[in-house]
Amino acid sequence: MASTFKNLSPNDKISTKTLLHEAIPLTGTILSGTYTDLNIKNYSHGMFQSVYDYPYLSSSANHIFDITVGFANDSALSASSPVAAAQQKKKINLYNQMAQVLVGYDKTGSIQPFDEDGNLVDGTKLKENIFLSFSRLLVKDEVKRGSFQMTVSVTGAYDPANFGKTVVVSDFGAVNEYRINSPVGEYGILYASNSSGQTNIDSTKLGAGVLANHAACGLIYYQAGVVVLSGSLFTLSGSGGILSSSVDGGGSAIDFGDGFTFSDALTGSSISSSANLLRARIQNIQFNNTVELNSSIYFCRINHNEYNYSANPTYLSQSQIRVKQESSDSPVAYVTTVGLYSADNQLLAVGKLSEPLRKDPTIEYTLRARLDY
Amino acid sequence: MAFQDNSGDIIFDVVLTDEGRRRLARGDGSFNIVKFALGDDEINYGLYDTTAATQDQDIEILQTPVFEAFTNNTSVMSSMLMSIPRNNLLYLPILKVNEIADGSSTEFHSKNVFHVAVDGNTENNNGVSGGDGIAFDSAGKIQTGFMLGFSTQKSSNYLRIDAGIDNSAVPPATNIADLFLDETQYSLEIDNRLGSIISKDGTTRLSPASVDDDNIALYVVSTETDPDFVFVNTVTDSGTGNGQVIEGARSTYLEFRIASSIDLRQSNFLFNRLGAELSDLTSQDGVSTPDYRYIDTLVKVTGLNTGYSVDLPIRFIKLK
Repeated sequence: MASTFKNLSPNDKISTKTLLHEAIPLTGTILSGTYTDLNIKNYSHGMFQSVYDYPYLSSSANHIFDITVGFANDSALSASSPVAAAQQKKKINLYNQMAQVLVGYDKTGSIQPFDEDGNLVDGTKLKENIFLSFSRLLVKDEVKRGSFQMTVSVTGAYDPANFGKTVVVSDFGAVNEYRINSPVGEYGILYASNSSGQTNIDSTKLGAGVLANHAACGLIYYQAGVVVLSGSLFTLSGSGGILSSSVDGGGSAIDFGDGFTFSDALTGSSISSSANLLRARIQNIQFNNTVELNSSIYFCRINHNEYNYSANPTYLSQSQIRVKQESSDSPVAYVTTVGLYSADNQLLAVGKLSEPLRKDPTIEYTLRARLDY
Repeated sequence: MAFQDNSGDIIFDVVLTDEGRRRLARGDGSFNIVKFALGDDEINYGLYDTTAATQDQDIEILQTPVFEAFTNNTSVMSSMLMSIPRNNLLYLPILKVNEIADGSSTEFHSKNVFHVAVDGNTENNNGVSGGDGIAFDSAGKIQTGFMLGFSTQKSSNYLRIDAGIDNSAVPPATNIADLFLDETQYSLEIDNRLGSIISKDGTTRLSPASVDDDNIALYVVSTETDPDFVFVNTVTDSGTGNGQVIEGARSTYLEFRIASSIDLRQSNFLFNRLGAELSDLTSQDGVSTPDYRYIDTLVKVTGLNTGYSVDLPIRFIKLK
């Protein structure tokens, strides 16, 4: 009997997973300069600042990331008087919000603070932080481990145009070493390293062994797409940071901006002002994102004795097959389309070939139809 | 849809159809691919030159540009490839509308459509003589090319599709099953908002096998399960005439009517949205040509064994 459908057996279907990566370069001029901050959106609530890749009033603009700052309840900054500490409560709330989502709770249900090396039991806690939350548009499923890199200015005197003294922040070694004790998945430790030919990081803050040129300065949460930068990145070692006193020519503090040290900026200026100062210090950010592509592959096996005839109206002339002159000629048909059907004959997926495929009794094909999810 | 780039390697571009996405979103397991079929919608086999040298016979066909995949499930796979165990066939069956099977009962209207009167008023002024009913003539006989979509229990005109080899080279006495060309099951596709498929005598109402995202209902009937719809053609008289339109070996035939939907009977919404108005049909009083609303649509009938399909132009009508 003639037939048009062929059943797919369990051996004709397989599921696979593929990881796709895109390089995401964000140049500092996008963050500060090119659009004279028309691409920077501040909100009346003042909790965070959004960065777009184009003036945000344009429909062409894409949201790329948010900046906010916060400090822990038990940070020394929390002790500043409420009058002096601009948005103090909001900054504490933001720290706690980030910490409860990214670090989680201890056994008593208390929010755990960010930890410099991921060992939550002890060690240095990151209590004054900058948070960069990248949009899903950029991160897709996750940031690729070991791909994050960010160059920031650590020039002692605030100068938005000056990238003379910089450090490179990266998730060095995260391909092979990362942490999984976060409720939001994997995270890595961010390390600052000296830019080529510079010694901006205090040598006592550098690690040992493979980390000999790196000083821990934050965390990156890969699936969440959140970067936590420690305030130590913009603080001299004498004040608890990682920077050498050489960055400001031997002074006792660096001007994070507007005459503030980083700590002063967190207590003395609003979140959006701190975000502005940070943006002016970012020379570039780059990372690779990851898309987890799940695929079902259907092998449409076409044997030599199958699909050699067509029901195309042009195939016949008065019921006679056009591609034959006599019955002993081989039948031939041309495939342009593959339809994948449900049991009730509904077309669920369709594949098109870029050119017609000749099919006659001397030819067999296996067409591999891949559906990505 | 654009054409695909055919300048290099063969590319196989696969997408989910809108119905596939809908079933996937439903998450009820109805997205389950169990079989495949091949199509050749773009191919014009008239370009095949049997008189040319072998390597040149299909050169124009192989150069045919192919469209990107349409995501509308009813827009592709219009013509399918078939598997037939024998390679030495010279003739294949087709589906053919039979307008001479039963006097004028299966004949299309002179406008080349089949009208479906959607309510009693349109049929015969709800049984009151005179008036504007347009499905019957002044003698009380149902007009040619009209179907009673409302009074489904009443005798009515109907549609008939015959399957077989339309060439006298394979005489009607030939057992088409021996050629592996028997057509034993059909699918019918109709816009579910407009109507449904019922048997010729109106006693059997089919349930659609599925209704897709575009409201296209799919019905499947076969000789085994639907004896009110699919009949074996046992007539072996040669030639056409005597109610036969297939010249050669005959297979089965499909008979059905269309019942109008409740939406069409009770509301003008779809007529206003999808249709238009005319006043060119004579009412049962034999004089007036009342205004009526209409919607033109297609009912697609496909032979599921041979893949051959025909589109039947149907016009749903309703008096204003």
